[in-house]
Amino acid sequence: MSAIDSDDDIQSSTQIQQPKLPGNYSARISDRWSQQNRRDSINSTTIDGVHSKLSLDHIFPAQLYSTESGRLFHAGQVLIVLVGLPARGKTHLAVSITRYLRWLGVKTHPFHVGDYRRAVYKNFEDDIPQDYFSAVPKTEIGIKLRQKVLKDCLDGISNFFEIEKGQVAIYDALNALPKDRLDLQNEFGSKGIKVLFIESIVDDDELLARNVANAASSPDYIGWNPKQAKEDYINRIKTNAPIYIKMNEGNEDESALSFIKFINFGDRLIMNNSQYGYLINRIVFFLMNSKIKNGCVYFARCGKSDLDKYIDDEELNKSGLEFSEKLSSKLLNHVSKRKKLEKKPSFVNVVMAGGNHNLLGQSGTTNKQSIHPPFLSAYTNSHSNLNSNFNSNTNSANQSTDNLNIKHKIRQPPTADGSSEDSFVVWTATRKRTSSTANPFRQKGITVRERYQLNQLNPGEVADMTQDEIKSQFPDEYEQDLNDPYHHRYPRAESYHDLAVRMEPLLLEMERMSGDILIIAHESVLAVLYGYLMACSCYDIPSLKFPRNEIVEISYTPYENVARRIVMDDVEP
Amino acid sequence: MVGLPARGKSFISQKSKYIESIKTFMWSIILTIFKSVVRYLSWLSIKAKSFNVGSYRRQNHKHPDAEFFDIRNKEGWQKRQEAAEQAVTDMMNWFSDEQGVVAILDATNATRERRDWILRLCRENSIEPMFLESWCDDEKIIKKNILDVKATSPDYEGLNQEDAYEDFLKRIAKYEENYEPLDEIASKDLTFVKLINVSQQVIINKIETYLESRIVYYVMNLHIKPRCIYLSRHGESMYNLEGKIGGNADLSERGFQYAKKLPELVKQLAGDDHQKLTVWTSTLVRTQQTAEHLPYNQLQWKALDELDAGACDGLTYEEIERKFPDDFKQRDENKYEYRYRGGESYRDVVIRLEPIIMELERQENILIITHQAVLRCIYAYFMNVPQEESPWMSIPLHTLIKLEPRAYSTLVQRLKADIPAVSTYKERGTSRLGEIEDANNKSKHLITGEPVSADHPLAIK
Repeated sequence: MSAIDSDDDIQSSTQIQQPKLPGNYSARISDRWSQQNRRDSINSTTIDGVHSKLSLDHIFPAQLYSTESGRLFHAGQVLIVLVGLPARGKTHLAVSITRYLRWLGVKTHPFHVGDYRRAVYKNFEDDIPQDYFSAVPKTEIGIKLRQKVLKDCLDGISNFFEIEKGQVAIYDALNALPKDRLDLQNEFGSKGIKVLFIESIVDDDELLARNVANAASSPDYIGWNPKQAKEDYINRIKTNAPIYIKMNEGNEDESALSFIKFINFGDRLIMNNSQYGYLINRIVFFLMNSKIKNGCVYFARCGKSDLDKYIDDEELNKSGLEFSEKLSSKLLNHVSKRKKLEKKPSFVNVVMAGGNHNLLGQSGTTNKQSIHPPFLSAYTNSHSNLNSNFNSNTNSANQSTDNLNIKHKIRQPPTADGSSEDSFVVWTATRKRTSSTANPFRQKGITVRERYQLNQLNPGEVADMTQDEIKSQFPDEYEQDLNDPYHHRYPRAESYHDLAVRMEPLLLEMERMSGDILIIAHESVLAVLYGYLMACSCYDIPSLKFPRNEIVEISYTPYENVARRIVMDDVEP
Repeated sequence: MVGLPARGKSFISQKSKYIESIKTFMWSIILTIFKSVVRYLSWLSIKAKSFNVGSYRRQNHKHPDAEFFDIRNKEGWQKRQEAAEQAVTDMMNWFSDEQGVVAILDATNATRERRDWILRLCRENSIEPMFLESWCDDEKIIKKNILDVKATSPDYEGLNQEDAYEDFLKRIAKYEENYEPLDEIASKDLTFVKLINVSQQVIINKIETYLESRIVYYVMNLHIKPRCIYLSRHGESMYNLEGKIGGNADLSERGFQYAKKLPELVKQLAGDDHQKLTVWTSTLVRTQQTAEHLPYNQLQWKALDELDAGACDGLTYEEIERKFPDDFKQRDENKYEYRYRGGESYRDVVIRLEPIIMELERQENILIITHQAVLRCIYAYFMNVPQEESPWMSIPLHTLIKLEPRAYSTLVQRLKADIPAVSTYKERGTSRLGEIEDANNKSKHLITGEPVSADHPLAIK
C-alpha cells in the first residue's frame, strides 16, 4: 500500500516517444520488431540462455513495448546489489531474477564476481592468493587481485548501463561491509541509478547444508572431488563469517538505503525504504514465490484427435487414448526411478506401489470439469475437515493465553498444490484433447488442473488452414509472418508474444511448486514456457519443436537450468 | 499411509485463510485494503467476505464516546467482546456452511491476548490465519488519517467535525494504552504482513501459498492517491449495424462521429485531470479508430480484445440460434460460464484481464476503450457486481463512464454523446437485439442507472 509517491512510474513518462502513427505506439505491431538487424538468436536453444550477452536492441518474449532508450518507460534503471556470505543462494537469486525480469522485457544482466575472477585466473587451482576470498584480504597480492576483479566487474556494470542500454544490473558479490554498500549507493545513486540491496540471510542449518552441497555444481569446482570442493567452500564461508556485518546492524547510515532482507529463502522478507516502483514490486512478488527447487518441470504434447481441427475442439481418438496411457506409464516410471536415485520420497512412488490414493487425498482429482480460474482451483474445494459444529468458545478469551495449548502452537500445514517436495501435479489446457490426455493420471489419483492460460495460440482467421491456403488467401500476412513469426499476428489471431503475456501469471505459480509438475499442452504453449525456463530468444521460440514422442525434462541448478529429452520408443513423432 | 511422510496428509483439505487487521490509527488505509481485497478476490471467484466487528458493535451502540473504549470500562469492554465473538462465530459458520475461502476479520485486535484467542479458534478449525498490521509512529501520517476517518466513519455521523476530531484523539489514546504491536520474534511462526509508517518498512512473514503472495502483491500495488478511470465502448461498428458479433469491422459513420466527439467528452468529464490521461485500447481496429483523435499516450493490450465467440464469430444471434440451438440455450442459462465452441467464456475473459486490473490499480488516470463483454468484466470488478449479473448489464454505445474509487464506495458518472447508435443488448431467451422495456431484468440497469429498485444492493443512488 503506497501513499508515498513512487518515484519511477508515471512521472517519467516524458521519455515516451510520441506515436508516429495515430492510435498506437505499442511496438508490438510496428515494424521495429521485425527489422532484420534486430534479430539475435541466443547461441543455442538447448543451453540455458540466462547468462548470454544481449545485443543492443534485444527484444524479450513478454516485452510489452519498446522505446528508443531500450528501457521500459515506467521503470527507471536499477542496480540490484546482492549481500551475504557464501552459500546464501546469491547466485541462484541473481540468475532467477534475471530470468524473470528478462522475460518481462526488462534488459537485465547478472554480474557474478566469480566470472570476472575466473577471467583473470583461468584455472582455479592456479596461484590465486588464498586470502582473495576474504572480504578483507591481508597480503598485498590478495588486495590487488581483489581490487582488480571488483573493478572489472563494476566497470562491466557501468558499461551495461551507459552503453548497452541496460535497465537492471545484478551485482553478485559478497558486499560484506557497510562501507562497500554505502560506496555503491554513492557511486550509482549519483548517476541517477536506483540501488536496491537484497541481503540473503540463512540461519536455518538444513537450508545452509543444502546450499553448501549445491556448491559442487559451481563452475569453480568442475573436475574437483566433491568432498574437497565442499571443504574448500566451507573454508570460504569461515573466512568471511567474522568479517561480515549485516545490513543496518553496524552503521546507522544504512537505514537510509533501500534494501530487502531475504531470510531463509522467503520465510521472511523485510523491505526497507523500498517504495514500490513497478520493478521492485515485481521483484518482491517474485521473491515471495521463489524456491530452491528439487523438482523438475516436464512437458508433453497431447494425444491426437480425428481431424485435428482447432475450431471443433475434438476429443481424443483411439490413437490419442493409447498415447495418453503410454505417456503416463513412461513418465511415472521415469520419475519414480529418478526419485529413487535421489533417495527422495515421491507421491509417484506411492502411486506406482498401488497405494490407496483416496487416503492420500491429493484433492480435486475427480474434478474433471474443473472450470476454475488460475491458482484458484486449489482453493475452491470444500473444507472437508472444517468442523461444522463450530463452537465459538466464547469464554476462552478470558483464559490466560500465555500457554497456548500445544496443538494451537502448530501451524496448519499448507495445502496448495505442489507445496511439498514429494508432490506431483499435472496441468493441462482447458481444451478437450489436452485435458483428456491427462486422464490416466487422474485415474491414478494424481491432481490434474485445467488452466485456461495454457490454451494453444489462437490462430484467428487462419485456423485449420494449410500453409498453402494461407499463402494464397493472405499473401501479405504470410510474408510478414515469415519475417517475424514471434510478433506477427494473423487477423484476430494471437502472436507468440500475446501468448507469452497471457501465460505470465502462471510462471510464478510454477516457480512456487516444490515438487514435480507435468504440463500437457500444444506445441505453441510448450515453446513459450520452454523459452522462459531456458531463456531462449524470442526469435528461436516459434521454431522450437516438441515432437509427440518426446517428453522434455527441465531441472534446476543454481547457475542454470538443464533440459533433456526423454524419448518414447513406441510413439510416432 | 504407505510410508508417506506425515505432511503428505496435508493434501486432504484446501483450507481457508483469513486476514486480520491490527489497526492502529490507520483506518482509512486499512479500510481501502480490505474493501479492495474482498472485491478483487470475489471478482476472481474466490469466495471472500469481510466481518467488521465495529458494525456488530454498532448494532447496539450507535455512537459511543471515547470512554466506551477505555479498557477499564467494564461494560464497554464486554460489549466489544460480545461483538467480536458474534463476528467470529458468523465467520466460522460462513467458512463451513458457505464454503468461504478468504474471510477478513476487520477489528482492532490490539492485544496479544485477543490475537491468541483468534489464532486458537482458527487452528482448531484447520485454518491458518494471516495477520495484517499497519503500524505507525509518524505524527504527520497519523494526523492525515484521523482527518480522513472522522469524515467517513459511521461512528461520527451527524456529529460536528471538531467534536468528532477531539473524541477520536481520545479514542486513539485509549487504544494506545493497551496496544501491543505484533512481536516480530515471538510471532515468527505466524503468517503476517506488517506495514510500518505506510511503506517505510514492510515485513512479510511465512507466505506459504501462491494465493497469499498474490494478495500481498495486490496490496502493494494499491495506492490511495485520488484518481479516476474512464471507460468507453468503441464507436458503433459496421458489425453492430448488421447485428453480427465478433469480427474486426471498421466503425460506422456514426461510430466515426463518436470518435471525433470523444476528446470533447473526455475534457468535459475529466476537467483538469484530462492532461494526465493514458489511453488503453484493444488490438482490434474499432477501438483504435475510436481513440484516434485523443491527444494522449496510448497503449494497446491484446487482453482487452472482445470475448472470442469461436465458431459463432461473425454470426448474428438469430443465426446462432438456428445453427447451434443447444448452445444458444445453454449460454442464456449460464452466461458467465458458457464457453463458445473454440472460443471463450466470461470467466476466461476475467482470467485474462487479471493482469490488466493489477496494472490499473497501480496507475492513476486511465481511459479504457474496449468492448462490451470486456467492459462488463472491468465494471464488475470496480463495482463488485456478482457473476450472475455482470454478463447481463446493459452498456450502451456512445457513452463515456467515469469511475472514482473512494474509501467507502466507487462513484459513477455517465456522459452520453448525442449521437444515436443501435442497441447491441440481447435479452435472455430471445435472439433479437434491443432492450425490452418491461423485461424482468435487474442486472441490465446496473450501469445505466435507470429503473433499479432502490433496495437493490447495487442500486445507484
